[in-house]
Amino acid sequence: MANGVPAGLLYSKEHEWVLMDGDVATVGITDYAQSSLGDIVYVELPRVGATLTQFDSIGVIESVKAVSDIFTPVGGEVVGTNGDLDNNPASVNGDPYGAGWFYKVKLADMGQTNDLLSSEQYEQLIAEA
Amino acid sequence: MTTEINGTLRRTALYDAHLALGARIVPFGGFEMPVQYSSILKEHDAVRNRAGLFDLSHMAQFALSGPNVGAWAEALTVNKVANMKPGQARYNIFTNEHGGAHDDVIFYRLDDDRWLLVVNAGNADKMWAHVSANPADGVTMTNLHGERALIAIQGPRSVEWLQPYVESDIAALKYYACAETRVKGAREPVVIARTGYTGEDGFELFLPSEEAVGVWDLLLAENRDRGLEPCGLGARDVLRLEAGMPLYGHEMTEEITPLQAGLTWAIKFDKPAFTGKDALLAQRDSNGYARIAGLTMDGRVPARAGYPVLADGVRVGEIRSGSFGPTVQKNVATALVEPHAAAEGTRLEVEVRGTRHAAMIVPLPFYKRPKA
Repeated sequence: MANGVPAGLLYSKEHEWVLMDGDVATVGITDYAQSSLGDIVYVELPRVGATLTQFDSIGVIESVKAVSDIFTPVGGEVVGTNGDLDNNPASVNGDPYGAGWFYKVKLADMGQTNDLLSSEQYEQLIAEA
Repeated sequence: MTTEINGTLRRTALYDAHLALGARIVPFGGFEMPVQYSSILKEHDAVRNRAGLFDLSHMAQFALSGPNVGAWAEALTVNKVANMKPGQARYNIFTNEHGGAHDDVIFYRLDDDRWLLVVNAGNADKMWAHVSANPADGVTMTNLHGERALIAIQGPRSVEWLQPYVESDIAALKYYACAETRVKGAREPVVIARTGYTGEDGFELFLPSEEAVGVWDLLLAENRDRGLEPCGLGARDVLRLEAGMPLYGHEMTEEITPLQAGLTWAIKFDKPAFTGKDALLAQRDSNGYARIAGLTMDGRVPARAGYPVLADGVRVGEIRSGSFGPTVQKNVATALVEPHAAAEGTRLEVEVRGTRHAAMIVPLPFYKRPKA
């Protein structure tokens, strides 16, 4: 983990991370994203069973002051969501790569991962931001 | 919430100090301003429980002088001005012919002859044009926007943490009083006023821009370890919303009158004449006008400016400001609602991204500081 970007995950240009386990992806936002957004007070996630299209806006993250879209880094069927965020949205700030995860998607097409960034590429992206 | 149309943003004298403190900078009122340093919640907590330090130098200061300032200002605003005594500050609103607001402002009377008028940053150019277009004998006006700085310290520890740097006895300064005094770190006299926009006790310091860094650094140097936090515009907006204070462009506009904003106390109908008086009188007597009301959301979804407000499925208004309110631990908002839906306790719904969420009308303010 260099500059707070964990190795072994995939990343999107919209600052989401993806952890692959077989054909199921766990999705969350990066430390850089949570720091930019500030204190998070509400996360609106897709429902289990919903079908997502890669890079579509599928929910929102609300900080004290602002509403931001969640652009899903992968498409497919939602197979789980982090219900703890309802009562503890601040865990996205405190532990963005752990307790602050958002949802799990069963990938429609494994080829989608080719459109994501490696940890090295993502590090470079935020270094240039 | 405006930025310069030509895209050139100005910086206050404290810009480098903000960067050194790790501030996130956003465009606001034509300036590059700190929206937050650490976290809005942390900064909000500092102001409610200890004290916070704000750079408000983006707000415009107009120097007024001459024997007729009081009479001149009374004709253009809703409140009284001429009867202000030296050392008094007073909230006021410049109105248009329809009773709408050009801006909400504070007049500070420094002595018999000299006044300070402080207007919102986003309205600075409009207001300078407005007062310039209404000249009067015995009134001299100077636009000090950008030349004068404004630093605020707000929170229950303000007296204790500011006093060591100020020559005069600031504890003796009443709410909405002002005085010229000496402040350590500044060569010129500083205007200090017991005013603010957070719902807490506190002071505002008006000083030449070139002195701002010296005073800012001095106040932070000894007090930061005690818990004084530099605070950005993000925390300020949440603090003022909880305290039920209007923000121009939200609770009051050229269309939304001070009467609708609930500022009846500031409107002096016994004045013989002022811009918009007839329109405001007609509105008052009709009593059928939409008005600003406080609203809390039942659930965790915040209401935001522009969201529709519904009663029994019918649209009755619109959210004007909305945020999570850390003090009350609820999502709070102001809404401009029809009179039949404005009574306390009325159950309403707010439409958020196509889904309706339960809300209730509650009295403003959401937060009132405990009496000392």
